[in-house]
Formats: sequence, C-alpha cells, structure tokens
Amino acid sequence: METTISRTQTVVLAAEGITRRFPGVTALDHVSLEIRSNEILGLVGENGAGKSVLTKILIGIYQADEGRIWLNGNEVVMNGTSDAIQKGIGAVFQEGSLIPNLSVTENLFLCHEADFLQYGVLSKRRMAAEARRLLLPMNIDIDVDAPVASLSAAAKQMVEIARVLWLSEKYGASNPVVILDEPTTVLNDSERDTLFDILNKLKRRASIVFISHRLQEVLENCDRIVVLKDGQNVTDMPTAGLQISEVEKLLVGHDFSGDRFRENEQLAPNEPVTLKIEQMGKAGAFEPVSFDVHEGEIISLVGLVGSGKEELCRCIAGLDQYDTGSVTIDGTRPRKGSSRAAVLGGIGHVPIERREEGLALNLSVADNINYLVLDKLKWAGLISSRLEKEHARRWVAECLVKTPSIGSACAGLSGGNQQKVILSKWLSSGVRLLILDHPTRGIDIGAKDEVYRLIRKFAKSGIAMIIMCDTLEEDIGLANRLLVMRERRLIGEIDASPGHKPSPQELIKLVV
Amino acid sequence: MRPAASNTDAMRVPKSMSGTAVEVTKRWLRRSGIVAQLISLVLVIAVFALGTEGKNLSGANIQVVLSLAAIPAILAAGLHLTIVIGGIDLSLQGTVALCAVFVGLLSRNKFNGNDVGLWVVPIGIAIGGACGLVTGLLHTKLRIPSFITTLGISWVLYGLAVYINRAMIISLQDDRIQTFINDKPLGIANIAVVALAIALIVQFFEDRTRTGRYLYAVGGDEALAKQLGVKVDRVKILAFAVAGCLYGLGAVLLVNRMGTATSRAGLNLLFPVITAVAVGGVSLTGGLGGAKNALFGTLILTVLNNGMVLMAVNPYAQTAVNGVVLIAAVALTLDRKKLGFIK
Repeated sequence: METTISRTQTVVLAAEGITRRFPGVTALDHVSLEIRSNEILGLVGENGAGKSVLTKILIGIYQADEGRIWLNGNEVVMNGTSDAIQKGIGAVFQEGSLIPNLSVTENLFLCHEADFLQYGVLSKRRMAAEARRLLLPMNIDIDVDAPVASLSAAAKQMVEIARVLWLSEKYGASNPVVILDEPTTVLNDSERDTLFDILNKLKRRASIVFISHRLQEVLENCDRIVVLKDGQNVTDMPTAGLQISEVEKLLVGHDFSGDRFRENEQLAPNEPVTLKIEQMGKAGAFEPVSFDVHEGEIISLVGLVGSGKEELCRCIAGLDQYDTGSVTIDGTRPRKGSSRAAVLGGIGHVPIERREEGLALNLSVADNINYLVLDKLKWAGLISSRLEKEHARRWVAECLVKTPSIGSACAGLSGGNQQKVILSKWLSSGVRLLILDHPTRGIDIGAKDEVYRLIRKFAKSGIAMIIMCDTLEEDIGLANRLLVMRERRLIGEIDASPGHKPSPQELIKLVV
Repeated sequence: MRPAASNTDAMRVPKSMSGTAVEVTKRWLRRSGIVAQLISLVLVIAVFALGTEGKNLSGANIQVVLSLAAIPAILAAGLHLTIVIGGIDLSLQGTVALCAVFVGLLSRNKFNGNDVGLWVVPIGIAIGGACGLVTGLLHTKLRIPSFITTLGISWVLYGLAVYINRAMIISLQDDRIQTFINDKPLGIANIAVVALAIALIVQFFEDRTRTGRYLYAVGGDEALAKQLGVKVDRVKILAFAVAGCLYGLGAVLLVNRMGTATSRAGLNLLFPVITAVAVGGVSLTGGLGGAKNALFGTLILTVLNNGMVLMAVNPYAQTAVNGVVLIAAVALTLDRKKLGFIK
C-alpha cells in the first residue's frame, strides 16, 4: 500500500451543516463533510443514509435547504453539474453517463468541443489525439473511435474518470474532486484491482470520494472514512487499524454480529421431500446433479459466478430448458422449460432483478400481491374488488410491507418493501418451493433483517427454499444445508444446521 | 511510487494507432455502417440483371433509376434526421402538398399573375422549413410524441393545401427548373447530382459539426445528453426544421419535374421514404445511421421497384413486396434492448 497521509494536506472541499428535506423525510440533517487534498475518502452508509443526496448536493444537482459549501476556503454555490465541474468537482455514477452510440472521443468532449472547431467543423484527428493523451494514465487499451457500447464496464468508468479530470484541468482546478458512486459493483476482481491502482496514482493530483457498500474494499483502499446514518454524521476517522465489525456497528447503530441471520429461529426441516432433483443436467451450463429439498428446509447454493448455480435455478424455475434428468415437486413433474408449469406445480422464483423481472412496477401493491390468486378472488364468476382488497390487506399485514396504501404503485416503494411484496405474492399463492436469487441485494440492513424474519417464518410453515446470497456469511447463517458448486459441478454438501455452522473461511476454500 | 511504471505507461501504443492499411480500411468500412447496404445493393442489381437478362444494366435504365431515386433520396435525407434523434416524422406528405401548392401558385401560371421566377426554390425550402419548425416546437414544447404530432400536422397541412388549391391543376409556365433537372452536363441528370450533393452535405453536417453530433447524442440517450449540457429541445427542433427544408426542396423539384402542381403531389411518398430510411440501416430506435444510409436505402428500393417493373411483376405483388421489405428492414435494425417492450 502506498503512503496514506501526505505532508501537505489541505481541505479542498468542505460541506458544513448541510440539511436537505424532501416531502415527508429529512434526507440530510446538518451533515458535514471535509474532502482533503490527495486522499481517498470512503463514504459509507446504508441505503437511504443520504450518501447520494449529499453527492448530488456537492455537484449541484440538488440544492441544500441549509448549510454551506466551501471550496479552497471560499464559500461557493453549485449551480448544476456543469458549474460544479468548472470548479473541479465531478461525479461518476453507478448507472454511467456515457452515451452508448457515440465514440469514446465524442463522449469525452461532449458539449466542450469548442477547442476542436475550425470554421464550425470538428477536427476528428485532433479530438482523437487528445482522447489518447487523456486515456494514457488510465491504463486501458481501447480504440478511441469505437462506440462506448462496445467497451467493458471497467473501461467505461475509466473514460468517465478521464472526462472529469480533463474538464477540471480545462477549467484550471488545481485539485479536482472525483466522486465515485459504487464503482465496484459492476467490476470483476481484476478490474477492481486496476481501478484501485489508478485511484492510488490519481490521488497525487486529485481527491477521490469513494462510495461503496463493500466495507472490506473501503477499509483497504481509503485513507479516511465517513459514516452516514439516517441523514446524520456518525463518524469521520482514518481507516488505519479499523475493523469491519466496528464499522458495521456504526452503520447499524447496534452490534449485529450476534444473531444477524436469526439463527436461533432456525428449525430442523420436516421429513417429507418437497423437491427432488434427479440427474438434472444442461450441456455447457452444469453437469447432472441430484439432491432433495425437504419441507421447511433452506438449501443454499454456494459458488462463484459461472459455477452453474444460476443456470441450475433457472432450470428448476422453468425459465430455461434442461437436457437430462427430472424435477419432482410434491410428487408431480412439471413440464420442463415452462415457467407456467413450474408455478402451477408450486415452484416460486424471486429473481435478482426484482424491478425488471419480479414486479409490475406501475401496478399497485394489491395488483402485484393478487396476481397469482385472481382465480380465488372471484364472486359469481367475476373478480371481486372487495375480495381483492381483503386479500391484499391481509398479506401486506402478514409480510409487514410498508406502503402508503394497497393501491400505491410498487415503483414508489423502497427496495426492501418491493421485495416483501414479491414474497407475499408467492406465499399467498401457496407456493411449496421458493427460489430466492440474492433476496437481500441492494436493500438496507434494517429491511434485510425483516426479510430474514420472513424467510424463517416461511420455513416454519413448511415451505422449502433454495437461496443464493450476496455473502457467504448470509448463506451460512440462513441455510440448513449448503450445496457447493464449482466449475459447473456439484462438488459437496455441508451441514449448516444450528450449532454446526461452518466458518466462511472453511467454505471459501471449497468454492474457489 | 516506482518511476519505472510511468515509463511503461508512456511507451504504450494505443490499439487504434496500429494496424496495416488493409485493417484500417476494414475498420473504416465496418464503422461506416454501410457494408450491408452496399452488399444488398449489389445483390439486388445482380438478381434483376439475371431476371431481366441485363436490361436493368442498360445505360438508359440506369439513367431512369437515378432520376427516379433523386427526389425520394432528398426526402429521405431529411426524414432520417428525425429518426436519428429517436423520433419519426410522418408529416412528409402534408408538407410536400402544401409546398407544392405554394410553388405552383407562386410560379408563372395561368390562374394568377404571380411569377417569382427562381426565387421559388428558396421560398419552397422556407415554407417546408417553417412547417418543420412548427412541428418541432409543438413536439418539444407541448411534449407530444413525435409520431402523433407529425401525423396530426400532416393532415393539417394537407387540409390547408387542399383548401388553397381548390382542386385546381396548376400548370407551370416557367420551364427553367424543369430544363435544369433533366440536363446531363455530368453524364447523369442534374436532379441526381443535386440529390447526391444533398446527401453528402447532410452526412458531413452529421459527422463533423457539433450540432450534427448532438443529434446522435440525443438519439443515443436523451436524458444523459440533457444532463451533459446538450440543448435537447433545440437539437430536436432543428432536426424537424431541416427535414422540413428538404421536403420543401423535394416539393419544388417534384412540381417542376411534372410541370403541374396540385395538393395531391405529396400522396404516396411517406411509405417509400420511410422504407428507404429503414432499408438503409437507420435504426428506428435512434442514434444509428446517417444520410449515406438513407441514400443507399433509396437506391436499393428504387432498383428493386424498377427491376420488378422491368420483369412485369404484378403491380399488387410489387406493393406487397415493399411492405415485406419495410418489416424485414426494421426487424434487422431495431435495438430491442433500448425499447424494452415492443408496443
């Protein structure tokens, strides 16, 4: 690791007492943030803690209701992103801000082409040369005339970072501030290492604010960490010697490690087999596998991306065709490759892309919950709105969905509550086996706990589950049994019943 | 920090600078986005050369094809701009009808005493441009989808044209433009030269000017373009206005070539022009394809229709073939990921 604290650090950008209210909620409550020269600052907090609102205030997308911003000791007002970038402050957001059909060069200079104009005509040659110069320190070997759509996620980020640096250089900002909003979620491990190499080089001439959910990488790569919780400052401290568990404690406000996954509510599964997989295989995706899932049992599939576990789940859910073997649910075999047959057989699927695949976002909470049981909500052969409402209300209460009303559109709910709507839809349909693909992805810690509680409750009622989680700890904590997949094969089975939980370290050896 | 690292950085040669002349040509061709169109054009010509026993390759027929393609090519050079920004312009027929009627009534004719002479060219272009400007303003300021705005505008303009025209068939008595259109100082009819020049100018505008590139930025991701500082509304209005200007020019040429002007001048133009734009590879989802694509699309379609006429294919079947070609072309060029759901 390179030197963390330099001799001549000054405060470049300071936000003081920033308050921002939205209807019904105070997103930021007198938050202060100091960004020093030549540092990587980690900004962490749960979803909804106010990180992105703060970012947007710093680059002028939002205005603060109260509070002041100081740039190199002078008070400033940020009027929009282009004003912020002229002052040397730019952000790279998760969703990216490059136009896919334009070339790298065109994206780099979009809206700042004046330097390359001659009699109103753009000099493509000079633009390309300048683009190559800018990308040289970014360590990526790309064709600057290629459309951005053809680049990897990592390369796109580099182009965006290069654009922020170029613009601040152009406007003469001495120490630009680059804010990176969860840049690593779209990167693989080697890309992530490259990013950190570049950030570490970059900090000799810039300040970087690094926002991430992954505390590990924040602690490893940042010089200082600022924790936000519920729109307030919690802490601001150097990362040297800091432990993840300490930061987690700060994030949640209480010690979480004790019974994080509600393990003491875990029960031994019942005897009857709910799902029986026999010699199921799909060429190129996974080798034939066989296993049983018992009533009320939680099976966790563990393995890296590409281990075949995702494909296996898609085949069980009827979303993909498999080549050999069979799936038996409660003694019957649904037609393979038909998600309709799987649902009718009692197999539910909670996809990782819940906004795209799991919910009809524009429809109401009630519509989403009732979707699978409309047949049962009939009166005199027609769907009864009274029964619809009753049914929806019952499940909203059962699954603790926080929504203004059952008629509200799902698009307006938080990620955690959307997930609860999806769960109630399946549960109310009398599902026998539920496949949960990263059920807590992108929802905050408080909502995660409620999802865990629901999972326990469903297990108790006899529903079998196959889960794939974000972290090994979550897999171990939730599951009764772990099935380990590696290179498209099922390589082992580990008992994870209460009192016999393996450690993540033991597990990781098998997975990698 | 090791100094060696920065040295290796500096010595790295970016990929885009390397490569032999062949590779550079290949890359240029691939990026030009007209390879498939070139191949299709050659194929269509070859198929009909077989089918007509070479009749379609005769000098006289080539002249016919080029003259036939000229006006649709100019209209396509306009219309494709509105597709590049991710919209569409269905006002073509109405705009051409209105411009045609004005061109007829302002040129020397036997119904009134007007005679603006050659000024009719800029006037026709200006009327078309004004129609496009209004369309663009309605579309952007009232935030109405372009296909509805332009469909409505088309009927408004057509109604206006019929009202002004009152079913007269206005014969033009000034044949200077007609003579120019048919002259062949360069070996091919001037009207084809004009069409080629227009396509080249529009392509240059798209490639090498800021506004031209902004058209593609808006077509690629409108929300982002706006966030990055592109004046999206202005770019869109400009696309519709320029398209209108080119419809105006098309109307001037159309009326003068026929020698008569009526409000019916624009009928049956929209379908072949949209088909040509789609066949040329201009994606209906926006952001891809330029004037050169529109030009190639027009050529392919004209060769196809000319070939079917030469082979005496049943005219109803010819119509149906054009419909199939439109659907096939869109099926190949649509970016479904961008649309998400097809409605």
